[in-house]
Amino acid sequence: MENEELSGIAGLEAPESTSDVEELTQKVDKALLERPGFSIRARLALVFLLFFILSAATTIGTWMLLARLQTRLQFIEIADQLNNEALQARRFEKNYFLYGTNLEDVLRHIETAHRHLSSSKVEFGSIVGMESLERLERHLGRYRELIFQLRQLEAPGRDNVVEQRAEIERTLRTHGAELVSFALELARRERSTVRTLLGVMKGVTVAFLLCFLVLSVYSADFLSRHIIRRLNRLMQLTKRIGEGDLSPIVPARKYRDEFTNLVVALNHMIGEVERRHQVMVQSHKLRAVGRLTAGVAHELNNPINNIMLTAAALREDYASLSDDERLDMTKDLVEQADRSRKIVRNLLDFAREGEIEMGKLDVREIVEESIALVANQLKLSRVKAKIDLPENLPPVNGDRQYLSQIFVNLALNAVDAMPQGGTLGVSADLEAEGGFLATHVSDTGSGIPDHILQSIFDPFFTTRPTGQGTGLGLSVSLGIARRHGGDIRVTSREGEGTTFTVLLPILEVPAALERDSSGFVG
Amino acid sequence: MNERCLQILILDDEPIVGKRLRAALEKNGYAVEVFEDSRAALRRLDEREFDIVVTDVRMEEVDGIQVLEHVLERSERTKVIVITGYATVEVAREALAKGAFDFIAKPFKPDDLRQVITRAAAALEP
Repeated sequence: MENEELSGIAGLEAPESTSDVEELTQKVDKALLERPGFSIRARLALVFLLFFILSAATTIGTWMLLARLQTRLQFIEIADQLNNEALQARRFEKNYFLYGTNLEDVLRHIETAHRHLSSSKVEFGSIVGMESLERLERHLGRYRELIFQLRQLEAPGRDNVVEQRAEIERTLRTHGAELVSFALELARRERSTVRTLLGVMKGVTVAFLLCFLVLSVYSADFLSRHIIRRLNRLMQLTKRIGEGDLSPIVPARKYRDEFTNLVVALNHMIGEVERRHQVMVQSHKLRAVGRLTAGVAHELNNPINNIMLTAAALREDYASLSDDERLDMTKDLVEQADRSRKIVRNLLDFAREGEIEMGKLDVREIVEESIALVANQLKLSRVKAKIDLPENLPPVNGDRQYLSQIFVNLALNAVDAMPQGGTLGVSADLEAEGGFLATHVSDTGSGIPDHILQSIFDPFFTTRPTGQGTGLGLSVSLGIARRHGGDIRVTSREGEGTTFTVLLPILEVPAALERDSSGFVG
Repeated sequence: MNERCLQILILDDEPIVGKRLRAALEKNGYAVEVFEDSRAALRRLDEREFDIVVTDVRMEEVDGIQVLEHVLERSERTKVIVITGYATVEVAREALAKGAFDFIAKPFKPDDLRQVITRAAAALEP
């Protein structure tokens, strides 16, 4: 529908190539949208989820460590109390032996120590080992037993009290010493565990920091890769589009996301611009055809005049002419009719709106055809054409009609630049950069001043009086060249003339395949 | 003067024009010289005087207006008939302003030219 509308505006037949553009756009759209979706939103959510998991894991880990630390500190307290009770018991034991104080105090402390020990038996066992703990319990039990024995010795009417007392005292001291040293060892080990735990906690904070750093670097990289770099890519793409490369944007990534919609919209815009460009190229071509028609009408006069003179002479003198003369005249008639046909066909070929067909083209042929089209304009303006193209120019990839439009435009411009006559030169060389065929179209006109030279390719820029030029010739030509992956450059010297250089990529098989996929929309 | 046949020079870069016009005019008893190259024609014009010169306007080297000027410079009595392409009024007007006897627009029939030549011959009569 849209095609018909567009062509309706321009009064043209619907360009068949627009349907190709449509088709290509649809194909690219499909490729863009068929990818599995993984939106940037989902990716960001994933990154933040990772951050949350890391923080949660660190918090839980720290919390657990702190809880363990708390328990440890309680055990240290208990171990200290145990140690304290044992020392107290031993102090009272010493007093008993030295000053004969009572044994009840000793017993009381030992009982308390025993209570402390059994309250945290499993915990202590895990620190010093069950075996050591049993030994401690044995020492404690034995110590208590010995105290009970001492108490029994104090009962009246017992023999050998002194010897037995000395024996018990010795054993008691051994067990007491063991008891104290065990209690001390317990506290020491608990403290060392606490120190280890504190060390682990320090490590955990450092590890957390490192993980955080890694994750941050990853997220920064992610942001740069998925957002900033893609914005850059889009920027480059818009620049490319601005420069006239209207091939659609093809998928570069595995997943579809929010940018995909933007790219799809851009592709639609490109398609629209491409269609409009085609319409503009065509309508500008019709203007060129209009100019050429005047020249062609002049040119047609010659063969028609020849036909008329010959036919009239043939009728007038038919009876008196010899067979040979009659034959010669009819031969002239056929030749001149053929000449007229060629002139008309050449113009119609140029004017005809055909499908864009990219193919292997000989620039020399195209230049010769184009110059033939403007031949009469050249003659009327007394401009001599000097075509100096080598026979064996490398072929270029392009559309015949499009490329001849470039050369017709440049030749017509050259004619305009030389109202007093001059020379239109066409020469070619392989661009030094390689890969390009440079065709130079030069005139010997007055040249273009520097300040105008910059704007000659701008659309609607014209130096002709209002109504006499569209100002689209060079802009359209440049558009065509760029769509072929080429360019047009200009050099000019005031008073000496201007040279336009048309750069077209040379057709090489691998390059051609590459261009087909990413270059010209055809 | 009446006994002497009319001397006509025809200059047109299309060979068929000269070929057909020579035959057509010689039939009427005119002496006709035909040239395709304008420089050669100019040289010949320098050599002798013609009564009538028929020249095309658009030619590569020297155009019809220049030929007209050249002829009138040398001989005022010579009648110059200019052949214009697809009747361009400006060119015709320019030719007439510069002293051409008349112009004839392509495409034309031999009779069209004969009529103009007859008028020119009449104008030549003293």
